[in-house]
Amino acid sequence: MSGTVLLLLPMILPFIFGLIIGFQKEEKQRNTLVFIATAIEAGLVWYLCMGDHSFLLWQITDRLSLAYHTDGLAKFFACLISTIWLIAAVFSMEYMKHEHKPERFFMFYTFSLGALMSLCFSENMMTLYLSYEFMTILTAPLVIHTGTPEAVRAGLKYLGYSFFGAGLGLMGFFFLNTYCETTSFVAGGTLDMALVAGNENLMLIVFFLMALGFGCKAGMFPLHAWLPTAHPVAPSPASAVLSGIITKGGVIAIIRVTYYLFGVDFLRGTWAQTALLVLSIVTIFMGSMLAYKEKLLKRRLAYSTVSNVSYVVFGLMLMCPAGFMGALLQVVFHAVAKNILFLCAGAIIYKTHKTFVYELKGIGKEMPIVMWTFALASLSLIGIPPTSGFVSKWYLAQGGLMPEAGVLGLVGVAILMVSALLTAGYLMSIVLNTFFPGKDFNYASLQKKEPNYLMTVPLVLLSIAVVGFGMMPTPLLDIISSISGMIF
Amino acid sequence: MEHIATTSIVLPFLVFFPFLGAVVSYIIGRSNKGARDLWTWILSAVVFVASLMLLGKETVYEISGFCGLGMSFAADGFGMILAVLTSSIWLITTLFSKEYMAAERNRNRYYFFVFLTLGATMGIFLSADLFTTFIFFEIMSFTSFVLVMHDEEEFTMRAAKTYLAVAVIGGLVTLMGLFMMYQKAGTLNMNELTAFMQAQENPGDFYAIGVLILFGFAAKAGLFPLHIWLPNAYTVAPAPSSALLSCLLTKTGVFGTIIVSCKLFLHDAAWGNFILILGIITMVMGAVLAVFSVNLKRTLACSSMSQIGFIIIAIGMQGLLGEHNALAASGTFLHFLNHSLFKLLLFIGAGVIFMNLRELNLNKVRGYGKDKPLLKFIFLMPILGIGGIPLWNGYISKTLIHESMVEYIEVLAEAGQSTTFMHCAEALFLFSGGLTLAYMTKIFVCIFIEDNPYGVAQSVRKGPYMSKMMAVILAAIAILLPVLGCLPHQTQDVLAAMGAHFMNAHTPEHAIHYFAWVNLKGAAISICVGAVVYFLFIRKVLMRKDAQGNLVYVDCWPEWCNIEDKIYRPLLLTVLPYIGGFFARIAGNLLDGIISVLRMLIFNDDNGRVVPPEDKYFSAYTDYEADHEMYREGFATSLLLIGIGLTVAVIYIIVG
Repeated sequence: MSGTVLLLLPMILPFIFGLIIGFQKEEKQRNTLVFIATAIEAGLVWYLCMGDHSFLLWQITDRLSLAYHTDGLAKFFACLISTIWLIAAVFSMEYMKHEHKPERFFMFYTFSLGALMSLCFSENMMTLYLSYEFMTILTAPLVIHTGTPEAVRAGLKYLGYSFFGAGLGLMGFFFLNTYCETTSFVAGGTLDMALVAGNENLMLIVFFLMALGFGCKAGMFPLHAWLPTAHPVAPSPASAVLSGIITKGGVIAIIRVTYYLFGVDFLRGTWAQTALLVLSIVTIFMGSMLAYKEKLLKRRLAYSTVSNVSYVVFGLMLMCPAGFMGALLQVVFHAVAKNILFLCAGAIIYKTHKTFVYELKGIGKEMPIVMWTFALASLSLIGIPPTSGFVSKWYLAQGGLMPEAGVLGLVGVAILMVSALLTAGYLMSIVLNTFFPGKDFNYASLQKKEPNYLMTVPLVLLSIAVVGFGMMPTPLLDIISSISGMIF
Repeated sequence: MEHIATTSIVLPFLVFFPFLGAVVSYIIGRSNKGARDLWTWILSAVVFVASLMLLGKETVYEISGFCGLGMSFAADGFGMILAVLTSSIWLITTLFSKEYMAAERNRNRYYFFVFLTLGATMGIFLSADLFTTFIFFEIMSFTSFVLVMHDEEEFTMRAAKTYLAVAVIGGLVTLMGLFMMYQKAGTLNMNELTAFMQAQENPGDFYAIGVLILFGFAAKAGLFPLHIWLPNAYTVAPAPSSALLSCLLTKTGVFGTIIVSCKLFLHDAAWGNFILILGIITMVMGAVLAVFSVNLKRTLACSSMSQIGFIIIAIGMQGLLGEHNALAASGTFLHFLNHSLFKLLLFIGAGVIFMNLRELNLNKVRGYGKDKPLLKFIFLMPILGIGGIPLWNGYISKTLIHESMVEYIEVLAEAGQSTTFMHCAEALFLFSGGLTLAYMTKIFVCIFIEDNPYGVAQSVRKGPYMSKMMAVILAAIAILLPVLGCLPHQTQDVLAAMGAHFMNAHTPEHAIHYFAWVNLKGAAISICVGAVVYFLFIRKVLMRKDAQGNLVYVDCWPEWCNIEDKIYRPLLLTVLPYIGGFFARIAGNLLDGIISVLRMLIFNDDNGRVVPPEDKYFSAYTDYEADHEMYREGFATSLLLIGIGLTVAVIYIIVG
């Protein structure tokens, strides 16, 4: 063992707390514990991210080890995830009142955080792969929480797709172990060019399959189908973090593989890049289009996630600084906005048991705060300034229009615009319906249904972030520039 | 003008204070309506005073990092006049809103969005780069949507949604253009873009980008074929909002068109021609629609569309005339300003009528103004102005535009090129001027001269038909119009000179003789056309005898001529989503489909494979509620064990 032992705490603490939480029947105590656990975790992660730490847990062989470190990318994702986890936890406390066995939910919710932190901080492919699998396994109980047959089927589908995707990743890992100088993450890539020489095409196939496999978590076509099945059946806070955060787990893996193992210099201009760009563009359009056609609110949001996370993949696969910037901005902004939307959907279900979009008429008058945050998040996803989605779209488009990206980049940007239009179609229509029910609407039937502060405060905080980041993105831009400065 | 700009805090104040004030007004309004109304008056008065502080010097202000690229504001002569115009019109409509909106619900929401829109409009007019323009343009589209939507009637909802859809689509297309422009030029600052474009050898390469950027602004300005939202949205919005839409919000589209035409494609004849054609179609189309309309506000709306066509023509002429475009530039700016004044009076006048009668149909409001001399005066002045009658200000700006066309015909003739097209354009220009007079006469005669065969409609309000304060304000503005028109050199020319720099134009080399015969001739032709159209077409064709034998106004506009219902809606709401949805579904179900097929092939009794048992407890949580045993069996346990097993297995493989 070497390095700062403190770095191990973010992975261990959630498991300790989780085990205690799992046996807390008393609601008040449990909620306090959940809050303490997630708050300590967030504080700890932020503290760790102030400095540079690394920790070698176990040197298994001379090439393989379990090790953690805090490089720029790790800090970026860890801070984002731990903070949103805390906010969603507060919301869950109220929401889980109407679900059975809340202690089980919170146990796995806390466990998952540990797995995610492990994923963020992992220093090499081995650690990343293990954390990735743990993340899948530990989040599956969140999906099947309600225990209904549909939920179980959805959970199995989620597991099946994720394991298949991770399997592709593992396969790639075997190759990388041979062809890389080290499987530790080094900005710029670690491919051993002497070994690769002559096997370029093999390595590209490996890369393509790995990206495809990890893309499964990010909802990339053709392995996206678990998302629209799993999200509607999971409790809303779980859908929120699945959609906002867990999909980003796939993104972390893709970034690590692309930028820290293979390296962009090797990949740029190859068929693998082109193929992945095409897949991401197809996903962007497909997701938005299906969302536009969908009537069940949470499934609509799930399809929207399919589309929006592929913005990130698109940006990453452009393999240029502007695209990378846009992708990471989109990670943050989508995480925030999609959390708001799913939590709003949760608040609506919790208060009114309405799940279809056409049932929501006039609900903006009943729960104004909830629907205002919903509206702001919608604007952000469409990309209307000054909300944050506009900024990420700006950088993605700048990346896509770089001369190197060629026609495909232009098509991609055009599809981004079409997708934005469809987003307006499927989200603004909800907003309009809820706030403007029409002259003939029976206003007497309205009741005050605003949920209590446990639900509204997280929503308001997140929507402040949606607008705040949009207006003042400079700190974020600086952080991402420093990360991309290492890579390019 | 000296171009030493000073940094001024007034610029961001004008933009952001209304945003803040909107929130305050909403909070006050939750508890006290009277205080809220007072606050809205104070707020708009403060903004008005602040905008006056801009006068006389050139100012700039920058906020770095805002929304990524940072914002920059600047006010030269053009910007400061627009800022004052905006704040003064806003002040007047806000003053009017109190009495107009008294009977409406959701007033708090209305005021909130009115002031958000004010901030956004200021942001557009004061922006120094296209990025800033675009940000506020988008904000304005969304906030003004709520103003249009206000009464939530079914027809209103439809019109407002069309408005929003056009705005969103327009905004996205413009954004695409901005992406490409920024990629190429590395800046969106207007003056730097001018320099960049001037350095290009082949500006033709940028036409596609230019059209993309123009798209959103053209949609907002109501240019053909994106005008579909305009007549309906103006008609359904509350009168103060209609006035704002017509006077200012639509003008932001014109402002954008000016930026694209005078900053990007400066003195570019091909681009100018393109703009000119758009302008002509819009001008004629709006005028024809207005002639057919039987709804007071709809007539005014179509008239706005037509008048904006006039302004766009002037912008096109600037491009065509190149360096010598002083007349066209003055015409652009003056008609921009004059039209705002006309429509302010007319829409508020229409608002006064609606607030008393709750009707806008010409057959219902007929004869209402016969015994109201003040209202008659308030209508008559802008009608004479907009009709281009000499001695009123509209004549001045229209003459300038007309003169620029005549000048271009001379240029073409000297160069030996064909003048047929420009002659047609000029003819259409004069013809539309005539139509303007005709439809304005139609509404004026209807409301103020004719008797209503069914008796004048009863007012739903008690007391005078409008407040004393509004009467004084409106009368003052109405008097202003002929004053501006009679003293063009002292007033209009000065304004035009202030705006010239922004459009990269010069002031005219010599003073224009507005009242020379050569210029009066154009007005005379228009007046003749107007008289012919009114007496032979409107009175004969568009008025028919109803069952009781009385002449009434009928709507003869053919049903099939509605491109919104016949093309846009079916295409965008049915055909394209169907095609897109079809392919998206195929892609979406691809893998699931393959899995199902494989399942059928493999787990099949016929080929003797194992069929997995359908166990309902398989992989399900156990049903019973044994407190501490729930993690022992069931799915959760399995998952934990899988996880542990996996770890052990991997470690074993690696170590071994």
